[in-house]
Amino acid sequence: MKRGLIAATAVAGMLVSVAACGSGGSAGADSKSLTVWVMDGSTPPGWTKGVKAAFEKKTGARLNIEIQKWNGIQQKITTALSEENPPDVIEVGNTQTSAYAKTSGLAELDDLKKEIGADWTPSLNKSAVHEGKQYAAPWYAANRVVIYNKKIWAEAGIKDTPKTRTEFFKDLDLIQKKTDAEPLYLPGQNWYFFDGLTIGTKAALVKKQGGKWVSNLADPKVAKAMDIYKQYQSFSKAPKDKDEATPQQGEVFAKGKTGAFIGMGWESGIAIKANPKIEKDIGYFTIPGETAGTPEGVFLGGSNLAVAAGSQKQDLAKKFLKIALSDKYEGQLAQEGGVIPNKESLQSALKGNPAAEAAAPAVAGGGTTPLIPEWGAVENPPNPIKTYMTAVLSGKSPMDAARQVEGEFNKRLGQKQ
Amino acid sequence: MKRSLFGRFWPNATALFLTVGFLFPVYWMFSTALKPAGDIISEDPVWFPLTPTLEHFRTAVSAPHFWRYVGNSVTVTVLAVGMSLVIALLASFAIARMRFKGRRGVIVTFMIAQMAPWEVMVIAIYMIVRDGDMLNSLLPLTFFYMVMVLPFTILTLRGYIAAVPKELEESAMVDGCSRPQAFLRIILPLLAPGLMATSLFGFITAWNEFPLVLILNKQTEAQTLPLWLSGFQTNFGDDWGATMAAASLFALPILILFLFLQRKAVGGLTSGAVKG
Amino acid sequence: MKEAPRPAKEVRRRAYGPYLLLLPALAATAVFLGWPMVTNGLLSLQNLNMGQLIRHATEWNGLDNYGEILGNEEFWRVSLRSLLFTAANVVLIMGIGTLTGLLLARLGPRMRLTLLFGLVLAWAMPVIAATTVYQWLFAQRFGVVNWVLDRLGWHGMADFNWTGGQFSTFFVITVLVVWQSVPFVAINLYAATTTIPKELYEAAALDGAGLWKSFTSVTLPFIRPFLYATTFLEVIWVFKAFAQVFAINEGGPERLTEILPVYAFIEGMGNQHYGMGAAISLLTILILLALTSYYLRIVLRQEEDER
Repeated sequence: MKRGLIAATAVAGMLVSVAACGSGGSAGADSKSLTVWVMDGSTPPGWTKGVKAAFEKKTGARLNIEIQKWNGIQQKITTALSEENPPDVIEVGNTQTSAYAKTSGLAELDDLKKEIGADWTPSLNKSAVHEGKQYAAPWYAANRVVIYNKKIWAEAGIKDTPKTRTEFFKDLDLIQKKTDAEPLYLPGQNWYFFDGLTIGTKAALVKKQGGKWVSNLADPKVAKAMDIYKQYQSFSKAPKDKDEATPQQGEVFAKGKTGAFIGMGWESGIAIKANPKIEKDIGYFTIPGETAGTPEGVFLGGSNLAVAAGSQKQDLAKKFLKIALSDKYEGQLAQEGGVIPNKESLQSALKGNPAAEAAAPAVAGGGTTPLIPEWGAVENPPNPIKTYMTAVLSGKSPMDAARQVEGEFNKRLGQKQ
Repeated sequence: MKRSLFGRFWPNATALFLTVGFLFPVYWMFSTALKPAGDIISEDPVWFPLTPTLEHFRTAVSAPHFWRYVGNSVTVTVLAVGMSLVIALLASFAIARMRFKGRRGVIVTFMIAQMAPWEVMVIAIYMIVRDGDMLNSLLPLTFFYMVMVLPFTILTLRGYIAAVPKELEESAMVDGCSRPQAFLRIILPLLAPGLMATSLFGFITAWNEFPLVLILNKQTEAQTLPLWLSGFQTNFGDDWGATMAAASLFALPILILFLFLQRKAVGGLTSGAVKG
Repeated sequence: MKEAPRPAKEVRRRAYGPYLLLLPALAATAVFLGWPMVTNGLLSLQNLNMGQLIRHATEWNGLDNYGEILGNEEFWRVSLRSLLFTAANVVLIMGIGTLTGLLLARLGPRMRLTLLFGLVLAWAMPVIAATTVYQWLFAQRFGVVNWVLDRLGWHGMADFNWTGGQFSTFFVITVLVVWQSVPFVAINLYAATTTIPKELYEAAALDGAGLWKSFTSVTLPFIRPFLYATTFLEVIWVFKAFAQVFAINEGGPERLTEILPVYAFIEGMGNQHYGMGAAISLLTILILLALTSYYLRIVLRQEEDER
């Protein structure tokens, strides 16, 4: 029986070591450190280094910036906010901030807004406010631009980038006729581009009816935006029921057989990675609107920084926010990351970054998805608006398509909170 | 001999066709991982990586904390499978060889336990672990994985034990062995293939588990490989090359283990699943 | 162990023995499965969403969740779909798996090893890796499957969008699930046939039995218990095939390929209605129990016979 005993002891021993390794890692319990959750891709290395050094110098506490992956992030944030030692500061998507604010999982930041937030860009700050109170600080935003292949455009004989939507369509038509390239790569479910178009037509995706939010997709203004989308999509062979990530539109563009696509500035990097030779052919311009001088409406995708209500280190967290959002580091984030900073005065930091320069003019006229706590559920896959888009592009009338998804849309908006 | 020719050709052709069908996805994973980015998204598929690159593997391995994930995955999986084997051996011996009141109930209990929908019980488990202040530890994970694979292990092992002729055990006991001794000396060695086959299943299950570790262990120190693997699928689409490289690395230990144990394991499984 | 056995102790040991041996397994199951199940049951009686979870608030709402689910025709549609999905897949898996197993038995050693190699590698492929590869194989653009179909002369498929329709999405999922499950059935069936004494076939041949006759009179009786047991396992696995269905198209298009576990996950985790998700998961278990009750009854009867 000796062998059995040895085996048993070995197992027990291993268990002890597992237990030890589990409890050792809890960094949050250390009062001399601050844990910040940022999303994968938000923080460029130079910025991280600078902010870390400045924070540690000023407070003497350690700064743990933990990079979060996107997969399952909602459940992670929700459960983390329910824990005794939540991360102190978290990056929250601008469209999700109000939902988290409503759960009382986020700390109120009215005083911080008074102190450092007087000149935050209003179109960005809107998302950080819930029922009149500040629950987060706007951090950065990004919006879509047109990324085009200069070589193909030259081949089609186009000299200048378009200033109006009509000009843009004409150019795409020229590419269609004169080259063998696909003029535009636009899958049927690039829903944030569509959201931008609805902002451009001043359409509302939801409306209040009897004290409840319901679908407003049947509105003619939404139909008008969808019609614009359909015109764009007619220049593309891309799948009508996929979004821009499957396949990565940047990788398709990298083949050099696509005239243009509508995407985030950094998506050109994906193309360059897949095909380094294409770098010299890439250009950017602002998505043109109805008339010259007013760019198309865009969705301002962005992030806010929020403090967990359950954090034991509220003061330290605010000190971090003051440093991270200071002109120095906010400017550096804009410059290094090519994102739109939270103040218009800092947009000069984008000089020399053609993608960001093309993005900046559209910010003032940009918007977001409806800022209601119920919205988060709408975008969970399968997003009914994407379903609506595919339906229209496959030949349904906008009215019928709106009716088709209304039930699901309203169900999600009416969900219990 | 016409018939024999006919009888040989078709089975072989079918077998070849099936082999290609079963192998191709595995091959495609490895070959995609080896292709340079430009060959991956391609109008005409590049069937063979003519200019192989290890770039994607480097990306995959150089992800932060990679070796930590490997260590955690191995620890949790090995412990969970090991413990479930030990516990299951005891239980399945009782079920296979002893008669007692409530035996049927026990068997059906484990059969039903096999149906547990773990993915959707995650939040209940989370609340238990959170309130027990055991988050970010490998310990709860190990135990939950152990129970995830336990029912299958018990039911399969029970079949293997039943397949060992009773006479062997009895003759050992006649020779003066106690029952535990007879078990250790006679039955256990005969069970080796069965133990291997069963442990492979446990291994796959525990190695793959994602939803639970996602919300129980939010600190990288206590995370496992599936989280690392899913990290290559970012919000903005996938880095196919790196994903396939990561998937290859992730699959490799199991593939090797399978090829290694296959011959020993295969023979026994049937007797395991069937007799009892 | 040199002392003479004392009869009284021996009797007691015989009485308690099996229970002692079962204790660790039962205790572990009770703690790590039973407890979460009970908790899950309690959660299913609560209005538990994002806010309540964060605030640690308990809002009992009785059977409201169940009422809402059972009153929702969506649930019944998904349940029916789950049943059909399970049935189709299990039939395919058992059919192809059995035939492949019998084929293995007929092959020469070299070819058998080749096929076994293919089967074993497919079998061992981790689910996460497999689903990723399949998405990639069936991609509309740059996917190998469409390219091959196009080359084979089926040009309409060059740009076919597999995940665009309910049926074609299920087709991809089914190919994946069958591909993953056939090796288990085939290899084990092959192993089962190796235990059939050769003499039985010879005897059958002497009686003038053809291929089919010797299959039904010799092979089938031998592998029948095995077929039952494997079918039971496959029903459970296919019914619970969450990862495959979710990864291929997240239950889309338009929620048309949601099966019960995916439905529970989207309602519970995705939409963060945890109480609702818990209720659906419990209903899922009930359905699965009903599905497998036939086999469970057989097992119960068998075990009784043995005593």
